[in-house]
Amino acid sequence: MISTAAKKEIDQWIKKYPEDWKSSAVMQALKIVQKENNNFLTEELINDVASYLDMPPIAVAEVATFYENFNHKPVGKHVIRFCHTISCMLNGADDLIKYTEKKIGAKVGEVSKDGLVSIKKVECLGACRHAPMFQIDDKYYEDLTKEKIDLILEDLK
Amino acid sequence: MIEIEIDGKKIKAEQGEMLISVTDREGISVPRFCYHKKLSVAASCRMCLVDVEGAPKPQTACSTPAADGMKIHTNNEKAKASQKAVMEFLLINHPLDCPICDQGGECELQDVAMSYGSDVSSFNEGKRIINDKGIGPLIHTDMTRCIHCTRCVRFGQEVAGIMEMGGTGRGDALKIEPFLEEGITSELSGNMIDVCPVGALTSKPFRYELRSWQMNAVKNIARHDLLGSNIYSQTYKGKVKRVVAGDNDDVNETWISDRDRFSYEGINSSNRLLSPRIKVEGQWQDASWDVALDFAIRGLRGNVLKNNQPNQLGALASSNATLEEYFLLQKIMRELGSENIDFRLSEVNTKDQLNLNSNIKIAEIEKADLVLIVGSNPRLEQPMINHRIRKASNNKAKVFSINSKSFDFNYQINQNLISPSKVPNMLASILREAKVKSSNLSSLTDAQNTDETLEIANAIKNSTNPLIVIGEHYKNTKNWSSIVSLINLLAKDTDAGILNISGTGNYFGAILAEFLPGEGGLDANTMIDKQLPAYMLFDVYPSYDSHNAENFVNSLKSEKSFVISFNSFQDDLVEQYSNVILPIASFYETSGSHVNCENKIQSFAAAVKSPGESKPGWKVLKVFADLLELQGFHYTDSTQVTNEVGFQSAKSNKADKEIKIPKSNSLEVIWQSSPYIIDPVLRNAEALQNTNIGKMNIAFMNSKTAKKLKLNDKSVYLNIPVSITDDVSDSCVIIQTNQSTMKRSA
Repeated sequence: MISTAAKKEIDQWIKKYPEDWKSSAVMQALKIVQKENNNFLTEELINDVASYLDMPPIAVAEVATFYENFNHKPVGKHVIRFCHTISCMLNGADDLIKYTEKKIGAKVGEVSKDGLVSIKKVECLGACRHAPMFQIDDKYYEDLTKEKIDLILEDLK
Repeated sequence: MIEIEIDGKKIKAEQGEMLISVTDREGISVPRFCYHKKLSVAASCRMCLVDVEGAPKPQTACSTPAADGMKIHTNNEKAKASQKAVMEFLLINHPLDCPICDQGGECELQDVAMSYGSDVSSFNEGKRIINDKGIGPLIHTDMTRCIHCTRCVRFGQEVAGIMEMGGTGRGDALKIEPFLEEGITSELSGNMIDVCPVGALTSKPFRYELRSWQMNAVKNIARHDLLGSNIYSQTYKGKVKRVVAGDNDDVNETWISDRDRFSYEGINSSNRLLSPRIKVEGQWQDASWDVALDFAIRGLRGNVLKNNQPNQLGALASSNATLEEYFLLQKIMRELGSENIDFRLSEVNTKDQLNLNSNIKIAEIEKADLVLIVGSNPRLEQPMINHRIRKASNNKAKVFSINSKSFDFNYQINQNLISPSKVPNMLASILREAKVKSSNLSSLTDAQNTDETLEIANAIKNSTNPLIVIGEHYKNTKNWSSIVSLINLLAKDTDAGILNISGTGNYFGAILAEFLPGEGGLDANTMIDKQLPAYMLFDVYPSYDSHNAENFVNSLKSEKSFVISFNSFQDDLVEQYSNVILPIASFYETSGSHVNCENKIQSFAAAVKSPGESKPGWKVLKVFADLLELQGFHYTDSTQVTNEVGFQSAKSNKADKEIKIPKSNSLEVIWQSSPYIIDPVLRNAEALQNTNIGKMNIAFMNSKTAKKLKLNDKSVYLNIPVSITDDVSDSCVIIQTNQSTMKRSA
């Protein structure tokens, strides 16, 4: 079920597009309902968005599975999105990912036991100059080292 | 017209035409997977790369428009090298399991890999594997074999009109799959098998049966609907093993409905009638043709001919016989001197049925700029005609419907819900407001306008090419004759086309062959009620063909009636009332003709021999006529019969002058047979019966009606489970069912 508040917000986005192009609001709609549902999407929510925007459910699923910003299973309160594309990889991202996994006690794709963080490998986030980097929620953390990661994770608690 | 050069040859082309359609027309082979002439261009497989002089890199022929003076090479070094490279990429994740793949031998990937590919791959890593979801009883999936051409996805979006397959995930995790667990529900889904260039989507009933090269393909006509889709029946050792679509832009383009594709299973069922049978002292026994025919003729002579009462003989047929069969049976009857001939067993009131003549070609439907659908859910009833209406809608035509339930249309439509008894009023109001010419009908002045009727009337007035499509829903309601007259007037007064899709099978073949009561003849219902001393029943299965099977059987069961049945399948009810049953060939087993809703006669040859002792119906009727010593039955070939039909001109009845517009609002029950039970072949086709459409059995009504009838969501109405939904009009129950007509009377 999409909440009334969410519907209101989605309607704002629908208004930005021509009348017959409701489906243009699909990404924003998914973002909004995902936020309301502890940051992950369910089959039901995809169906709801589809019927709200008059789209075939599979077309919404295509978008929802294409972008990794959309989660399809429960995630932690904070999501670490670790870049592992070429610049970060050359600068030791793989090692740091392993380090972070150990530190939070959860592997890529999993949620830590306390439900605080989950970790995800993503493609280039466009911050190559400061590789290696990751993003937690809406914030970028750059030039990462093991020590820096310790501090950042400490701050999350 | 412009001139381009392909492989050194000067070729004329349209400005902006895609290169691949030029090469296809000229017979120059360019490999492709994602391109399909009837679908949009995706340019995703990259297989059709050709070298265009002046362009730094090879271009995809499917998405490069022709321009004047263009020089194209389809097989120089550059083109060949890129095609080979693309082929290697496509094979990275494709399992080379051709020996166990159903597509082997008719696989585009296999063919193209042989001609354009390399024998070694530089890819040594593991291939991706996909777990199949399963998408229903008709299509088998092996998505590991998928090469992501997206033809099935585009087919769903562009032709079937419901997007059911889609590409989820991205990069190497991209999967083509349906979102819903229940799988694919489209009534045209089987075409995905045809468009799939690899073995990812294959026919489930045909799985592991045969290789394509082992079978003979015979051109044929599908006989289930009013379109007569062109098909190929593929046969092996006297059995139809598979049906695929044929091309005919005037009829079915290159698509066929699932009904036409998977029905062949029915003729191979164990339920077939294999030998003539006669009833002696209440006991059925097999007999030879000689004995059975002699038995039948003696019965006829004894009961009616001896007393010189040929008008005591009645002939009835279903809507599923061939044109030739209808023609021969009516000829026998008329030679004997009886006009009791009818095929309209499913109609409660046979008056006025014939006053509706289509005056539009199937290929012209898509040119209409306004379509008014009355009493029809064409998606289920006539799927390929619905496809044409959909094309009209895509061409910006306005589509309106007047139905008593809203249906799941796959195009933009303005649906008007109206009680069956109010339909004449609505049509009269539209007629009065929309008419361009003048019809002076006093009864029209009573008709009440509503916002809806004004909207439709205005739309008709403002259109240049309106079309009225009339379906079968109101056929058995009290006001059918008013509806027919009003539609005729509306079409006449507004210069609209009429498309009559209110029948099934070879409905128009029966009319063309004049399989109808003539002067003084009895219609189907009277013939049954009168308990005549003798009947000839051609392909009749009362439990589905008659609107009231119980009455039909009880009436014919009587001792004094001698009943000769011509059937292809065994049937308990037929055995109850018949005295002799003659086994006849079914679909694909006889030559003959089908007449479609634009009155186009399409003839077909037999693809296989009929099983056991059964014989093609037209031959049996010819011998029957000879044994009755009738003149003029010297046929050696069914086409001689077809030609004779051609010389007859179809009679058209005059429309009634008086139109009644009812004031009362009485409850009407509209029975809708599942599209997969309309003939015995379909009823025996297992895979179709297992689909959602095949299983449908619901009585729809709104809460008001339910309250009146004291029913709830868990109750049963006329033996059908009830569903209460507000998209049904007042005073109306719409029953969609796969059940027989046995217990229909309330």
